[in-house]
Amino acid sequence: MFQEMVCNPVLAALNSGVIVIDDEYNIRYLNAFIERHGNLQLSEVAGKSLFNVFADLPEAWLKRKLMSVLDLNSPAFSSWEQRQYIFKLPHLRPITSSSQYMAQNCTMLPLATAQHEQPLICILIEDATDAFVYQQHLSRTLIELEKANRQDGLTKVQNRRYWEEQLKQEIHRAQRYQHSLSLILFDLDKFKDLNDKYGHLGGDFVLVELASFIGSLLRDSDLLGRYGGEEFGIILPDTGLEGAAEVAERICRAVADYSMLFNQQTIRATLSMGVAEFEPKQHFLHDDLIRCADMALYNAKRTGRNRVCCYQAGETDYHKKAN
Amino acid sequence: MALPVLICDDSILARKQVRKSLPESFDAEFQTAGNGLEALAVLRSQEIGLVFLDLTMPELDGVGVLEAIKAEGIDCFVIVISADIQPEMQKRVMELGALAFVQKPVNEDKIIGVLKQYGFI
Amino acid sequence: MNNLGFSEEQRDCLQEIINVAMGLASDKLARFLNTFVHLQVPSIALVGAMHIPEEFENRYQDAEAALVSQGFFGNEGVRGEAIVLYQMENAHKISALLGYEAGDVSEIEMLTDISSILTTTFLNGLADQIENSLSYSAPRILSSRHGNVADVLKNTSFHWEHALKVDISYQLIDHSFNCDMILLIPGEAVSNIKNILDRILEAY
Repeated sequence: MFQEMVCNPVLAALNSGVIVIDDEYNIRYLNAFIERHGNLQLSEVAGKSLFNVFADLPEAWLKRKLMSVLDLNSPAFSSWEQRQYIFKLPHLRPITSSSQYMAQNCTMLPLATAQHEQPLICILIEDATDAFVYQQHLSRTLIELEKANRQDGLTKVQNRRYWEEQLKQEIHRAQRYQHSLSLILFDLDKFKDLNDKYGHLGGDFVLVELASFIGSLLRDSDLLGRYGGEEFGIILPDTGLEGAAEVAERICRAVADYSMLFNQQTIRATLSMGVAEFEPKQHFLHDDLIRCADMALYNAKRTGRNRVCCYQAGETDYHKKAN
Repeated sequence: MALPVLICDDSILARKQVRKSLPESFDAEFQTAGNGLEALAVLRSQEIGLVFLDLTMPELDGVGVLEAIKAEGIDCFVIVISADIQPEMQKRVMELGALAFVQKPVNEDKIIGVLKQYGFI
Repeated sequence: MNNLGFSEEQRDCLQEIINVAMGLASDKLARFLNTFVHLQVPSIALVGAMHIPEEFENRYQDAEAALVSQGFFGNEGVRGEAIVLYQMENAHKISALLGYEAGDVSEIEMLTDISSILTTTFLNGLADQIENSLSYSAPRILSSRHGNVADVLKNTSFHWEHALKVDISYQLIDHSFNCDMILLIPGEAVSNIKNILDRILEAY
């Protein structure tokens, strides 16, 4: 008697749903939580089929679960992470959650009944909307974090670490599928003078402007990254030396003709660019390809800047220094 | 006269459980075996009236013992005691000549029931 | 093997209880899956939980394996965490028997269902024999496909002192399904289990 006196109010106050059904899926009991959220009365639905009262239930799926509970006399579970909800019930966070229905963790338990009595199953429904909301925030944050992890903070192009990783992958692809692959390394000419003249803010402004302008000149498959200071790199998949040189020439001319407005002053800049093509027989590492493009870049600077130089097979570090 | 009875199970606990479930009124002389090979050694050398036989055992399992009893024409009654009570397994041991099949864990009710059914008590 | 201070009688008793629990579980499974389940004697070993990762490192090294954990707790201080390990290849075989069709449910749900059925049918059979009854937490995937089995186990078994390793092998007529079950048990639960075993031994 005492148990009944205590249990009923506890069941009514419980912030979880309790539904008891028999082995023919007819409702025997449901608590106030389900009555309120489902907008129904136990007196009206008692004895009725669970699947008629809750018309939206995934019937085949749920029956298989309930059958295993009865046959094996062991519990079955369902998590909101796999199935966001089983019972379409509104939740208590209509403003802060993007989901319309209560995310649920459900446990289906066999209830011990006396022999020869009809077997019963208790379905416990816990509101997991808060966890669902947190999880959504977390996934969004992780996506942003991953993006931030790949980006150069100032110019928003790929940062060096990520860009080099991409270069390694592209080299791997080029080797595997015998595609061509080229690399452009370029440098802003006399960047130090720009900084002296317009201040560091001006220098930064030029880097941001040019990175965005050059990005707009590239194909979707080309990968632009900031290699360091005022040095950038472009990976050009499926592109031979000649094609890459054309792209570099186009960029070089476009930048030379491009004027930027900073604090009511017009700034112009030029680039020195080095181009190299990936040679599977010579370049064993991505560093080898970078070194070749860097040598060509050096030659572009040495021969007067604002120009494109291509790496010629056979050039060596020694050559570079000797000249 | 006391009935010579062999209890064959690899588990000491299971052997004790069988022994303990037998009624006082059951006049028997007990021997035990820890696997199928030990059981066959006893069965080949002595007259045994009734065997309580486990199925899953090391060395030689209960099915192997039943096969040997049948092949060698050893004269004894066998009550199989096993946790594995799938219908296919029950059918198989019955075809091999077992008298009855009792599900583990055993208790007095189960053992007395089957002994009464076959007139041992 | 470290026997964690179990006497030979206690060990025999535990092995028998586990054998019977396996028998009960396989009978239930056979009826549920409508197939014959051939059962081998499960081998058990009691080990320090810290040795668990190395035990499984080799067996699951080159295979895609699933690890699913489920907590259990009963009366008399019986509690712990059950981990079921099996190869993904096996998971697809058993899911067909369970009536899942491709695309029917997510892979994760399939894995948690299989593990929960294996764990709870087995542990319920065990609990029945020691006149106990168990509650279970929802099954949780520790790892599937990706990740090193030994590393995942290292992170989990870290929280526990002892482990009861049960090697379970189900043979389903034409499909073979092998899995390992590890019962991780905290120190005080081990002595509780010893007390229960002693009580059973005393009764016989």
